[in-house]
Amino acid sequence: MEGREAIAEYLQDEFPFLEDTGVLSPHQGGRSAGLQRLEQFQLEKYGKQRNFLDGEVGRLSPYISRGCIELEEVRQWALKRGKSNSVEKFVSELAWRAFFHLVYKEEGDRILKDMEKPKVSMRQHQTTLPEDIANGETGIPSMDTFIAMLKETGYLHNHARMYLASYIVHFRRVSWRAGADWMYGLLIDGDFASNHLSWQWVASTFSHKPYIFNRENLERYAGSVLPGDPRKGDPFNYSYEELSERLFGSEYQPERSRTSGSYR
Amino acid sequence: MPALVWFNEDGLNPQHQMVQDYGDAPRVYVFDVEYLERWAIAKHRIQFVYESLLEIPNIEIYKGETVAVLRQLITDYQVNEVVTTETPNHLIKSWQDDLLKYTDLVTYPEVYPTIDSRPRRFSQYWRKCDRDWLIL
Repeated sequence: MEGREAIAEYLQDEFPFLEDTGVLSPHQGGRSAGLQRLEQFQLEKYGKQRNFLDGEVGRLSPYISRGCIELEEVRQWALKRGKSNSVEKFVSELAWRAFFHLVYKEEGDRILKDMEKPKVSMRQHQTTLPEDIANGETGIPSMDTFIAMLKETGYLHNHARMYLASYIVHFRRVSWRAGADWMYGLLIDGDFASNHLSWQWVASTFSHKPYIFNRENLERYAGSVLPGDPRKGDPFNYSYEELSERLFGSEYQPERSRTSGSYR
Repeated sequence: MPALVWFNEDGLNPQHQMVQDYGDAPRVYVFDVEYLERWAIAKHRIQFVYESLLEIPNIEIYKGETVAVLRQLITDYQVNEVVTTETPNHLIKSWQDDLLKYTDLVTYPEVYPTIDSRPRRFSQYWRKCDRDWLIL
């Protein structure tokens, strides 16, 4: 039996409570795999492509989160490439990670509760994750695809995490904490700081407004990796103004224009 | 001073300064079963951690309740110092705090180009600190 399969079998015996997905994650652990990924990362393409699910991203998060490679060495690696829009964007993403850590360091486990009052009503949100979401059987092929990717690989592109979080919190009215806890366990790079605070950012308890997306945005950034969703009863096929009204009611006044659905 | 190097889930770098400074000390990792079950940690993460550990020479891998396992190792190895890396993870921090009752603890800090106190929004943090981040 090959090395990684043998490890998988050994771990299944040692930890029988683990759900066996039957597949190996493409993300192999270890510093050498992390350094190799860094070497292959085409940073010059990152600035323009990073929000697209088929665009160039580093996929370094598992290695940085688990400490196989240090955030500071990645920052220095990037800056040695010279100044460019891509380098600046990438370094600012590293700074996001540090920012979340600094907040977590300051707040401790208080980040597991609302950091601020939500900007839209969440009183009716359910506090447990519905089973169809946990099982990836929502009936919406795009969302089920993201859930399957998450479970099969232990990883999701950042934009996919945002879509999924927004779907769960705003379209399904599930508390951000239920979704965040679930995703934390599934992600190889699960980190309370980046994960739970990003869910709060989506929910609007750690940001000025809720993060929502519509069909146009989903197709633009993720269309190439998704199966088509049925048009009938499509919950996303609205303008942002219409969506806002449907999801939050008339008491919430969103800003008139949104520049893309890109995170941040 | 005899020491024990304790790796945690957020610091699996075989080339960390800690490893270089304590080259002769035994190195250990504990899979905390209660934590894995409580947070439903998926197999892919455990495999990633395990594969990362295999790149740390002479690592000893245990499973059980973290503090209890470490206390036993402190006794077995007769060390009076545990060396580890900083993480904001409140669960790991609580284990570190617990350990302090039984031993000295050396914690290597996370390294950032700048540390701003009490940032509230990333945009503010970035406006204030971007220069520090963007110079070598």
